[in-house]
Amino acid sequence: MTVNYGLYVPKQSGIHSLHPLTKLAYLGFCLAVSWVIPGTWTPYLVFLLGIVPLSALGQVLPNILSGAFKAVLPFAISLFVVQGFFWPEGTVLQQIGPFSLKEEGLFFAIRGAGRILMAVSTFLLLSYTTRPDELTLALGQLGVPNSIAYVILSTLQIIPRFQTKATTILDAQRSRGLETEGSLRVRARALLPLVLPLLLSSIVDIEERAIALEVRAFGRQGPKTSLLVLHDTPWQRLLRWLLLLAALGVIVWRIYAALAPRFLS
Amino acid sequence: MIHLRDVTYFYPRATVPALAGLSLDVPAGQFCAVIGANGAGKSTLCYTLAGFVPHFYRGKLTGQVEVAGVDVPAASLAAIAGQVGLVFANPFNQITGARFTVREEIAFGLENLGVPLDEMRARIDDILSFAKLTELAERSPFALSGGQQQRLAIASVLVMRPPLVVLDEPTSQLDPIGSKEVFAVLRDLAATDEATVVLAEQKLEWVAVFADRVIVLHEGRIVADGPPGDVLASGDLTQYGLQPTRYTQAARAALAAGLRRDSAELPVTLEEAVEYFK
Amino acid sequence: MKNAQRPTPNATPAGPMPITVEDVSFTYPSGTHALRGVSLRIAPGEAMAIVGENGAGKTTLVKHLNGLLKPSQGRVLVGDWDTREHSVAKTAARVGYVFQNPDDQIVERTVGDEVGFGPKQLGRTEAERAADVAAALALVELSDYAKTHPYDLTTAQRKLVTLASVLAMRTPILIFDEPTMGQDARGLALIGGIVERLKGEGRTVLTITHDIDFCAAHFGRVVVMADGQVLADGAAADVLARAELLATTNVEPPQLVRLAQALRLPRAALTVDGFVETLQGSRGAGGQG
Repeated sequence: MTVNYGLYVPKQSGIHSLHPLTKLAYLGFCLAVSWVIPGTWTPYLVFLLGIVPLSALGQVLPNILSGAFKAVLPFAISLFVVQGFFWPEGTVLQQIGPFSLKEEGLFFAIRGAGRILMAVSTFLLLSYTTRPDELTLALGQLGVPNSIAYVILSTLQIIPRFQTKATTILDAQRSRGLETEGSLRVRARALLPLVLPLLLSSIVDIEERAIALEVRAFGRQGPKTSLLVLHDTPWQRLLRWLLLLAALGVIVWRIYAALAPRFLS
Repeated sequence: MIHLRDVTYFYPRATVPALAGLSLDVPAGQFCAVIGANGAGKSTLCYTLAGFVPHFYRGKLTGQVEVAGVDVPAASLAAIAGQVGLVFANPFNQITGARFTVREEIAFGLENLGVPLDEMRARIDDILSFAKLTELAERSPFALSGGQQQRLAIASVLVMRPPLVVLDEPTSQLDPIGSKEVFAVLRDLAATDEATVVLAEQKLEWVAVFADRVIVLHEGRIVADGPPGDVLASGDLTQYGLQPTRYTQAARAALAAGLRRDSAELPVTLEEAVEYFK
Repeated sequence: MKNAQRPTPNATPAGPMPITVEDVSFTYPSGTHALRGVSLRIAPGEAMAIVGENGAGKTTLVKHLNGLLKPSQGRVLVGDWDTREHSVAKTAARVGYVFQNPDDQIVERTVGDEVGFGPKQLGRTEAERAADVAAALALVELSDYAKTHPYDLTTAQRKLVTLASVLAMRTPILIFDEPTMGQDARGLALIGGIVERLKGEGRTVLTITHDIDFCAAHFGRVVVMADGQVLADGAAADVLARAELLATTNVEPPQLVRLAQALRLPRAALTVDGFVETLQGSRGAGGQG
């Protein structure tokens, strides 16, 4: 087993070597624009102009496309069915038996799917091009508590171990005569004895790990240092501020635009 | 380095004390082995020295516990952390999970102590070579064998340079190869004389090799205390639920059979036994 | 010690049950060839230990004996059953298997229920189960803990609970994976006594162990594995004296064997008494005594 960084795709690219907060600011800006600026096709435009080129630069475009497709498709289908056909009133585009596809519903579904596409693809772009420990280190510098960083990082590494453990526990019960082969009901009943040992032995593990963390001064207050060094540049810092301001600007403009007619009238 | 006076401790809901009026002084630089049957109080003693008794396990502690100049019951775990290093049996559970390579795992404690980057790097390189982990430095800690993981746990603690290192049966969950690897590191540690070490261990043959002093615990009390040669070959071991090594047993049987008449010190290790029977 | 007087759970009336491993090879989905053409015949009532370094294929082999793994090639017979044709749960009536880590096995809230889990799966009546549980707990000297939560016991005691929970199933064949891990002298003696007792009842006892002194004391036959193959298979006294062969799979001979070899005694004994006898013999012959 080599080092497992979760979703991270190790590549040599300019996107990979950007400071995590720069990526976070950029993706936050894209997300704000795609969600806030009206227009059915806005999210798709932002995806095409904002996400796709960067994914290509980061050499993770195929991963983004397939990952986003898999994650968004089920949402898109259900949105299309529910909103397209069950939109209360509107222009009927097509009548299929008792159901009628309405234009307003269809456009709502397209926009909804676009927003989900943006949420998923920004998350994936960040995860594919940023090592999780770099991300949590950067978040720590923003003031996010250590314990949250710990939960994120340890979950990535320890959860995969659960599967092995679950298999062993199931094997141990089968070895004592627990029938796990057969109907769904038999298998469902077999799962119950699995839950308790998994839970209890996890508690023992967690207690021991808590002790190990204390021994390593995890609970100590005061300044901490880091072996991992994040690469940052003045222009990245400037860019981050600009992106943050721009994102805020878009949001403020949108709120103003929504509220202004009411106050002005 | 260690100063325990009349220490009695009850785990929560326990009616029998895990430590019963135990007093112990260990000077700096000593390598002190603690042996005893399961339930004799070895782990509790280790956890007391590291402050997890009573700070983590709660329960009721009376008496005086002073370790590396720290009044343990009064101090916080965070304050004890840099002073006492603790290694326990399960290697896997000592990996933090918060770091992705062996090198970074070792760094974790130093990062929390706020050690400057340059010093951190130098100390990590030193300890990697001490624990013979240099070639594994960029591997995932989860990809290591049990013995390698336990050496990593020891290195991760030693790199923090605690004045006292406490090891609670560090080889009990390892296979013979893993145990050997760990014992090799402990032997080197004993040779440096830099740290004070308390080692709870069941494998008497190894204890004999590097301990300066052996303590026998029984029902939360110290029932024997002395140089390894005296304690480990003593006839009393069995009554405390301990099994002398086969070498000691063979020597005693030979003595009983009249094969040896002199009262030379009974052997504990293979080398001593060969010498004894020559 | 009153407990030891009580009856042992009797073997199931299934009759003598040999195990036949015929040219078994096994490859994990990952591509690891864990077994390469292993053949063994284990007679009813045999006490056999499997030794070898981690990754030698020991666990993979014993998982074939109760059907947890099915051979990629060759076949495994338990009595007249081909393990491929019966579920693991069914085979459990014939082969009891105590896992290495007790925490992978314990599912019930009291020690008594835990020990009764297997007999319950085997469809025994409540009265039968109560008798099985009482007898098995007596064997591991935990009768006083029937109502205790398993997690209120120490790890070493929990290991004894898992041992009892398989003893209670009264299988003709038992497999112990690292039974002595974490045990002290008393626990070692207790488990050793149980193995002796099972042998006395004519049941087949198999173990995987790194504890070579335990192996020397209680198991008449030793199989040495390396790289998915059987490296040696024979009487413990012969196999455990082959230091060079054992070294190839990182196994050290028992302490007494090492001592006998260091002293260049003509024969390596596995017990203290045997060692003293050999010593007496050689001194008599050499005129040194």
